Amino acid sequence: MPKILFIEHNGREHLVDADVGKTVMQTAVDNMVPGIIGDCGGACSCATCHGYVAAEWADRLAPMSGDESMMLDGALHVESNSRLTCQIAMRPELDGIVVRLPVSQF
Amino acid sequence: MPFSEPIYWDPYSPEILKNPYPAFKRLREAAPLYYNEEHDFYAVSRYADVERGLKERDTFSSVHGAILEMIKAQVQMPDSAFIMQDPPVHTAYRAMLQRVITPRRMNGLEAQIRAFCARSLDPLVGSDRFDFIANLGAEMPMRVIGMLLGIPEEDQIALREQTNTVLRTEAGKPMDVSLSEANMGGEAFEDYIDWRTTHPSDDMMTELLTSDFKDPGGNIRKLRRDEILSIVTMIAGAGNETTGRLIGWTGKVLAEHPDQRRELVKNPALIPQAIEELLRFEPPGPAIARYVARDVEFHGHTVPAGSAMMLLVGSANRDDRRFVDGDSFNIHRESRPHLGFGHGIHVCIGSALARLEGRVALEEVLKRFPEWEVDYQHAELASTSTVRGWESLPVFVGSGRPAAAARVTAPPAAAAAAAPVSVEGTWNVVIKGPTGAMLATLMLEWVDGVLRGTQSGQGSTSPITEARFENGNISWVNHTTKPMKMKVEFKGAVTGNTISGKVKAGFAGSFAFTAVKQL
Repeated sequence: MPKILFIEHNGREHLVDADVGKTVMQTAVDNMVPGIIGDCGGACSCATCHGYVAAEWADRLAPMSGDESMMLDGALHVESNSRLTCQIAMRPELDGIVVRLPVSQF
Repeated sequence: MPFSEPIYWDPYSPEILKNPYPAFKRLREAAPLYYNEEHDFYAVSRYADVERGLKERDTFSSVHGAILEMIKAQVQMPDSAFIMQDPPVHTAYRAMLQRVITPRRMNGLEAQIRAFCARSLDPLVGSDRFDFIANLGAEMPMRVIGMLLGIPEEDQIALREQTNTVLRTEAGKPMDVSLSEANMGGEAFEDYIDWRTTHPSDDMMTELLTSDFKDPGGNIRKLRRDEILSIVTMIAGAGNETTGRLIGWTGKVLAEHPDQRRELVKNPALIPQAIEELLRFEPPGPAIARYVARDVEFHGHTVPAGSAMMLLVGSANRDDRRFVDGDSFNIHRESRPHLGFGHGIHVCIGSALARLEGRVALEEVLKRFPEWEVDYQHAELASTSTVRGWESLPVFVGSGRPAAAARVTAPPAAAAAAAPVSVEGTWNVVIKGPTGAMLATLMLEWVDGVLRGTQSGQGSTSPITEARFENGNISWVNHTTKPMKMKVEFKGAVTGNTISGKVKAGFAGSFAFTAVKQL
């Protein structure tokens, strides 16, 4: 089972197992990782599952959709490696992916 | 059955409205799928079930809206009333609006919101009371929506009046759907839209007027005037009363948790998590309704297609299965998503704005009034089937606070002994009644060697009788008429400018009281 390492803004780490096919956001919420909210349940319409994906993983992800980049455009604390984690479905190749979390989702 | 009384909940009963949480708890434990015969609706109350109801949008349809009365009337709204639509119609409008109401745009209003709070609160500094609703919560949200839309200030108050009247229900009664349908057009915004069309700016309205919109049919076009009208009316209705209620709950809940309030004064960095906990603990929208589009099973029972389903967010947010000790208010609680803004595709689009308004309002209140106590005698809970909160929440601040008075009742012994003992004057009386502190004002004077006076409280004033003051002991009788006719006998010891003693209130029993002389 692939794993995801979430790192909260305060440095606390959460290494969790992820089901293939499930999104990174849903995996965080199911494992009660603090710092990811996912209010809209994965519809790409709330930007409360914002995370930073380390560069070495970024090119293994599917490119951003127009909706995602539009949502991120209006989100807070955005950096060049920002993603909405509800738009990243887990695949075996993503085993070990590191997702850092912003200081706040709102 | 573990409970002796039948389990009952509806969104209208004024008694349940006061404190729905015991009923919610019983629903969660003994009737996780509940059917109300009188009003013909189902309700789920556990976190997992409410979340499921909000998530499974094909089963729990929004096509007749999210308000019980509208669902039962099977109201059909135009496409642009997208809150009351399912995908793909909902998706098209929501996506459009999402581009316009971004968290960044909402958070950009912080300085304006803070300035508004300061204008509202500064004149109150130095007084002994204010009202969380009348002085702040009633006006602020519509002003902020106005700021977002770019509406001139003088038009903003009229807007609030219009949207609130539509959603208000009479105590104990369902909403009049015909009234709300007729008023959903939002005439108040019409002039503004027309004016903004010819006076473009960088506000949200201009963006709604000029942005490309991919409609549900896939055509790229601009929003029509009637669509914009219905969208902004909905936004105003959704964001106005709810945010006002959040501000009211902030005043009420923190008054009851003074230790946590003191922490917030000391460390304002905790305020965002306090607002989050308030949204969990007292969500302004405690119930969201859906139309059941196909048979669905909960806890071994089938809810038939065509039913109305109430998703009890207020109950889910206190479910011990999700939140440790869910009925307790704790700003240090481990942060975990709650359902206060709903969940899924219809989740509140303005949540960032509501959080911002709640945070700024609380910051500005605490800066000026670090402590307050609620004047429950004059506080009033509002009744609607969708929103629950204070219509009026007056509080005592500064020297007006009973606790401030109570603290003075234990002055340093030397100071008390040194103070002149004269009972003439005006006293702030605090009775530690069964439902909390009750306040009264006592006026005493000597007339021809006889102690006389009047006592005011509970909205009435009456002369006192049988007043005596001998050897440091004082006693008097007050015949109250409100809230009921009762003979209330006070006996206490006077020490300097304080009195403490017992009050016997007819059949209601005996309670401690203190009084402090106004100097």
